[in-house]
Amino acid sequence: MEIPSIVRSIEASGAGEWMRMSLKAMPVVEAIHVLTTAIVFGTILIIDLRLLGFPNTRRPFTRISDELTRYTWGAFLISAVTGLLMFAANASTYYGNTAFRIKMLALLVAGVNMAVFELVTRRGVAAWDKDVAPAPAARFAGAASIVIWVTVIVVARWIGFTKGYNYDIPADLDLNLQFPAQ
Amino acid sequence: MREFAAWLQATSLSVTVQSAGWIIPTVQSIHILMIGVVFVSSLMITLRVTRSVRADEPFAAVWSRFAPWMWGGLVLMALTGSVLIIGEPVREVTALSFWLKMALIAISVTTIVIFGRTVRPDTRTSATAEFSVGRRAVAVATVVLWLAIIFLGRAIAYDVEVWGSLSLHA
Repeated sequence: MEIPSIVRSIEASGAGEWMRMSLKAMPVVEAIHVLTTAIVFGTILIIDLRLLGFPNTRRPFTRISDELTRYTWGAFLISAVTGLLMFAANASTYYGNTAFRIKMLALLVAGVNMAVFELVTRRGVAAWDKDVAPAPAARFAGAASIVIWVTVIVVARWIGFTKGYNYDIPADLDLNLQFPAQ
Repeated sequence: MREFAAWLQATSLSVTVQSAGWIIPTVQSIHILMIGVVFVSSLMITLRVTRSVRADEPFAAVWSRFAPWMWGGLVLMALTGSVLIIGEPVREVTALSFWLKMALIAISVTTIVIFGRTVRPDTRTSATAEFSVGRRAVAVATVVLWLAIIFLGRAIAYDVEVWGSLSLHA
């Protein structure tokens, strides 16, 4: 497979080198990635469920959304940085991984869904902010968002089980290993 | 414990979980989704205690909104976690991170239960009553505990890298 030069550059970067060489970098970065992804998912789920009218419509949608968005974006930013660091460690392997590609596509769809909601649907929020069922477009955005984010997390977990490792062995490496006697 | 783990790993149930390649990733995915539900539910309750969110609602309303999700999520996490232990018992019980995680979960859940039951009635039902500094500190501590628990959960896969000579694998 042809690996784009930008992917090779990311892999060859200092960050990629650090991720590969440091013993503790990968577990710490992965843990932060899982944690911040969990915060993104959990906070978005509260907003999405409210878009579906759950548990009720007594609390204004805008109040719920405005209170949580800063936590969602803060966590997403950290999640993106840690995700990029993990990508840098094995960029060419991730690039060819189907689960990774589906995850990127799902993230793109999540972004489009959010943009349409923020730029179009939310303009009419005054009509359904409180005490009435949200507009059909708002309910659709909420349901779609739940499905998309569950997909992102499931395929993300699948990456770890399908990517394998890049065990390119240097041509000049002498593999005549001497094992001590048993 | 190692003997028990080795025995469990050889049972047909464990072999089924290990050999069906989709079970562990699926169960881990549900486990991670539930981290989001449980952690954010607990975070919402804590942020209400510190009056950072939903300060216009009584504590009781926020508790009844999020506590069922927190407990429900925890039950699902215990179930999925059990499947992961059955599937990879030696990996789990020989990891220092696993035992630290279990201990911190016990401490965190106990703290939250006691906290929920001991909120004074006026603080529970009033939207304006302030929690004491001590209670706010305990609420924040539960969030810190969850952070440590989530970190340790991921660290199970890297016990030697994280703990070095302290690792039970070493």
